[in-house]
Amino acid sequence: MHLAEAIGIALETLRSHKLRSFLTLLGVIISVCTLVAVVSLVEGVNGYVGEKIAGLGSNTFSVNRYSLDEMTDASKFMEAQKRNKPIRLEEYRFLLDTAHLPQAIAASVGRNSATVKVGARSLEDVHLSGQTANSIGMAAYKIAQGRFLLPSDEQHRTDAVFIGNDLLQHLFGDGPALGQTVYIDGRPFQVVGVASALGNVFGQSQDNFAIIPLGTYQKIYGDQDSLDLQVQARSAALLPATMDEIEMLMRTERHLGYADKDNFGLIGSDALMNLWHALTGAIAAVMVGVSFVFLVVGGIVIMNIMLAAVTERTREIGTRKALGARRSDILRQFLIESAVISTVGGLAGVLVAWLFTLAAGALTPIPFSLPITAVIAAVAISSLVGLFFGIYPASKAAKLEPIVALRAEV
Amino acid sequence: MSTPAAPQPTVTLPRAGGEREVVIRTADLWKIYQMGSEQVAALRGISIEIRRNEYVAIMGPSGSGKSTLMNLIGCLDSPTRGQYWLGGQLVSEMDDDELARIRNQEIGFVFQTFNLLPRATALHNVELPLIYAGVPPQERSARALEALRQVDLGERVNHKPNELSGGQRQRVAIARALVNRPSIILADEPTGNLDSTTSNEIMRLLEVLWERGNTIVLVTHEHDIAEYAHRVIHIRDGKVAGDAQTARGKAREAGAARG
Ligand SMILES: Nc1ncnc2c1ncn2[C@@H]1O[C@H](COP(=O)(O)OP(=O)(O)O)[C@@H](O)[C@H]1O
Ligand SMILES: [Mg+2]
Repeated sequence: MHLAEAIGIALETLRSHKLRSFLTLLGVIISVCTLVAVVSLVEGVNGYVGEKIAGLGSNTFSVNRYSLDEMTDASKFMEAQKRNKPIRLEEYRFLLDTAHLPQAIAASVGRNSATVKVGARSLEDVHLSGQTANSIGMAAYKIAQGRFLLPSDEQHRTDAVFIGNDLLQHLFGDGPALGQTVYIDGRPFQVVGVASALGNVFGQSQDNFAIIPLGTYQKIYGDQDSLDLQVQARSAALLPATMDEIEMLMRTERHLGYADKDNFGLIGSDALMNLWHALTGAIAAVMVGVSFVFLVVGGIVIMNIMLAAVTERTREIGTRKALGARRSDILRQFLIESAVISTVGGLAGVLVAWLFTLAAGALTPIPFSLPITAVIAAVAISSLVGLFFGIYPASKAAKLEPIVALRAEV
Repeated sequence: MSTPAAPQPTVTLPRAGGEREVVIRTADLWKIYQMGSEQVAALRGISIEIRRNEYVAIMGPSGSGKSTLMNLIGCLDSPTRGQYWLGGQLVSEMDDDELARIRNQEIGFVFQTFNLLPRATALHNVELPLIYAGVPPQERSARALEALRQVDLGERVNHKPNELSGGQRQRVAIARALVNRPSIILADEPTGNLDSTTSNEIMRLLEVLWERGNTIVLVTHEHDIAEYAHRVIHIRDGKVAGDAQTARGKAREAGAARG
């Protein structure tokens, strides 16, 4: 009924005291801004990472020396370091011979510290890996030029190398690379193929790699490093059964007793996704907690300013009561005012968060957006905060006796 | 603990002289203020009757309890003891919301200090009683505009109080008092803050309201202002010290008797 009037008064109050309003609303602005920014960042990154992880294939998983659990928990890792043995070529061969369910099993082993040279140009910290020929079927990249490694490269431990797009750019300046010789840690290799560009993830190039046959790699760098196996199930539905089979075969091969824990790790893309969500969830929880603290602080500041408004406008309250305003009318007026003030703060916070995500979207490859649900939630939360912290001042105003209010010296 | 309820007064008893029904009736009204440990009795048993379309002035020295009485009559305050009937309803027993409704519907208050909302326009100030009466917006502004025209402020509707003179402010307050068509207009020293020319303008305006059928109760301590009324109730130390017709009142009664 007199909603419009109360909203008008609230906006007028904000307009006439701009600095004070800004300071009053700072808590709510910061809080809502953090909330919305965190939600939109986490959502954006999740979407991005989810897409990348899903790119690994929803029906593949890997067999590694350590499980995700062991890799993300320091004490478990210490324990696993003693217990878990590297995955050896013999174990890979055993799985190839005995497993029925997988579509394919690829093996790889790698290091991040290779130096690759062509003439005077060189590139350091290249990710060099030895891989089996079938790993291309489970890789994120496509073949842009030439071919991938062949089973014959594997058998004969040839000097073939398949390079990522960064190497093409830096070593050949986009010129012809196929058939050229590159020196990896001083040894000559012949380029047989180039991968399509993948771009960056979190500022890390995904194209800075070179892949040589697994046998060749082990001949040069030794066979002590653990292999990573990529297993492809025949379908997503068969993934759990395939994982069970591989786990069972690995345990048999390693002579594990019934009560023994796995001394290797199986990692599916869903496990990766879970880990990722746990991580971002933890960050989000902390930030939501922080913004909640700001929200309470913001609410208390609003309560304070509303108490001041009630004192300042005691005569007005008296006048309104003298003219027929009921307690509920006065209560409603100040509640609406408090909610409107707080909501304005919430909207300002959304605006700042929006600018923030725009900047983040421009500076990173991640397509950030402002989720509409977050915006609605932020506005709803800020108006609820205003309502809640307005209750005390508003009921104080509503309870004033008309004659006492009218006589107040202001 | 409260005084036993006095019998409900018989309200409409038209006498030969054509006297109207009682609209305000108080019975042994007390108001005691607690000032720390001390008690101040501002009213000590006021019993008065005011009939419809009377024009009454309440006079008395400063501190005699005039404003206290007006605030009780206007339902802005409640008595410590005694009863108050307004239009036959026992007001002294009503709850907050009922009192708010009475203030809104039955009473138009004019204050010495105007009590306009400083940030609102004249029109909005006059609309306030209609807002609390739940009148829809269009009708509201039409009626507020009409009330402002009645007090000759049709040209000043969008001015804020600080853009108006004292007399104009009091006229806005009068427009606000009459916009809800109350039966009673209460004015507590309405000319107290005005010069004599403006005071007379305001008094003529009240006279017009009386001619239109309103009951008017006026507090003043100035004799020439009280002379506008037809009856003067004198208050001293919280008690009625006199109740008499003014020259105008006598002339009017004589005229009525003749007519
Ligand atoms: N709120 C109050 N608290 C205490 N004493 C009051 C209050 N209001 C009025 N009084 C006292 O009551 C008496 C009557 O006051 P009031 O009705 O304002 O007189 P008048 O209007 O005739 O000047 C005075 O003595 C005054 O001091
Ligand atoms: Mg007074």
